[in-house]
Amino acid sequence: MRPGHAFFALAKLTAVEALRQPIVLLLFCGCVVLTALTPLLLLHAFGEYGKLARESGLACHFIFGLLVAVQAASSALAREVRTGTAAAVLSKPVGRTTFFLAKFAGVACVVMAFSIGAVLATLLSERVAEKWTITPQLAGNLIDWRTGTWLLVAPVLALAAAGILNYLRRAPFGSAAFLLVLAGLLVVFLVSAAYDRTGVRAEFDFRVDWRILPAGVLITAALLPLSALAASLSTRLATAPTLLLCGLVFVLGLLWEFWFGPAPATPARAWLYSLVPNWQHFWVSDALTGGGTIPWPYVARAVAYAATYTGAVLALGALAFEHTDV
Amino acid sequence: MTLDATPPVVDVRGLVKVFRDFWRRPTVRAVNGVDLTLRSGQVFGLLGPNGSGKSTTIKILLGLLFPTAGTVRVLGNSPRLVHTKRHIGYLPEESHLYRYLTPRETLDFYGRLFALDRATRRLRTDQLLEMTGLTHAADRPVGEFSKGMARRVGLAQALINDPQFLILDEPTAGLDPLGCRQVKDLILALAKRGKTILLTSHLLADVEDVCDRLAILYNGSIRAEGTVQALLKVPDAVTLTVPNLPPEQMRAVLALLRTQIGSEPRVDHPTLDLEQFFLDVIEHAGDSAAAPTGAAPTGRVAAFLSGERT
Repeated sequence: MRPGHAFFALAKLTAVEALRQPIVLLLFCGCVVLTALTPLLLLHAFGEYGKLARESGLACHFIFGLLVAVQAASSALAREVRTGTAAAVLSKPVGRTTFFLAKFAGVACVVMAFSIGAVLATLLSERVAEKWTITPQLAGNLIDWRTGTWLLVAPVLALAAAGILNYLRRAPFGSAAFLLVLAGLLVVFLVSAAYDRTGVRAEFDFRVDWRILPAGVLITAALLPLSALAASLSTRLATAPTLLLCGLVFVLGLLWEFWFGPAPATPARAWLYSLVPNWQHFWVSDALTGGGTIPWPYVARAVAYAATYTGAVLALGALAFEHTDV
Repeated sequence: MTLDATPPVVDVRGLVKVFRDFWRRPTVRAVNGVDLTLRSGQVFGLLGPNGSGKSTTIKILLGLLFPTAGTVRVLGNSPRLVHTKRHIGYLPEESHLYRYLTPRETLDFYGRLFALDRATRRLRTDQLLEMTGLTHAADRPVGEFSKGMARRVGLAQALINDPQFLILDEPTAGLDPLGCRQVKDLILALAKRGKTILLTSHLLADVEDVCDRLAILYNGSIRAEGTVQALLKVPDAVTLTVPNLPPEQMRAVLALLRTQIGSEPRVDHPTLDLEQFFLDVIEHAGDSAAAPTGAAPTGRVAAFLSGERT
């Protein structure tokens, strides 16, 4: 038997099952709609130009992504062990480590698909909150209502199309809607990038703030160790305690540098510092304020940092699952 | 070669399973010193009331639970080895299916786990769907199914690899009499091909119909084991069945029996088997019925399971 055969079948099944769950679709649409509404509803109140839209979008990406990761990992492992589908699969020629890692791979695929959508929504949201600067004295902000409207309408149209597909061809609504929302966001992005807010044709990446892309990659990288943690905890715990512990690790990771870093003085403090990922490495939107950028070498180092934690957490999770009664 | 001379498909010695709570304190001794041997071609029934340790024993045979003590060999290997499971089919007590997948996707998925090529998966999926009467519901999510229909999908997934050793935990639970009869026919057809089957059921008549050996578990221990004939035989009585006799002849026969056995013989009319009666009624009703909404089994065993070249 080819070793990767069961792995890919299980990873695909995990991704498909997760995408068909209404809660994942709800979280995805919630993230997109909140990101889209931020510049439309709050811009006039605070006058924070694109910064507010950008940071709201990235925050939605992080928080909703965490919820998607925990929900998908928990239903892929804890619920499967509880309902017996894990037992049914493990009675086939599938090793426990293969099962566990394939479940994580499926969840990671869903988190990445979610992240692509969240980054597209953030790029579009920032585009809606246009800042026009003619001279330092002559600057202001305008709303690109055309892009904003399409950003909000695209998910609605995608849901309607998924409903029609479900009615006509019995296509599973959840996964069809998720993919259509993603495709809808991509279409809106590609079209709006080629026009200005009055509908006049412009160069392709007209007012697209590409600086958001590395910020989005960093948040996606941060979601992977959290997904691994959720998957590992799900081998022993139910959804609620998994969510609680992942939330705790998230909060601790934000405070960790304040308590132990950035350069721990003693080996004991260094060891403690390495226990929890420092999420501050992945939340660098402040660097974008005032026209700053996030250098790609920094992104590569942060992704390697996340991959190390992910690998370590998965190793512990696989070990725990190897000795679990199912 | 006699049956007992063949190498055992399952060999269990001194099996003990103790479940523990969160603090590792023992909570229940589910299996307590079970010895079990299944030989190739046997249909073995494992009986017992709820909580007697049947499902726990089965899960240990599949490597899903870890024994506290004792040795377990399945097909000559540890049940925890992945390659051992290539030859095993398992129908759990509850069907345990992915609710968002359709039956076709479910069977394709399990076929992939056995590394079956695409053509084989497709062929076996079609045959199993036809056998279980789910062809018309092949593209509906399993989550919408009744318990009986889900059970049929569960049975189909257990057979996708044409297993050498089949474990059926309550296979007829939730099935209508038609489905029960079909499962029994399937078990007999597989046994005829030399497959080994371990079966648990609360429906003792089902076990009696198909098993050639059985064990009765109670509180985690085996209380009786042997062939069905040996266990159920009443050694000091026989049953005579004769055509319906005229009153004169009947009186003469009874008088003769009285003088020979020295006591009053019991006389009653044989009755039809209720299962057979039900199946006859359904067969007649089916001739005039519209398209079925539930399972519509063809009554045929899938070609690849009956040993036909596919």
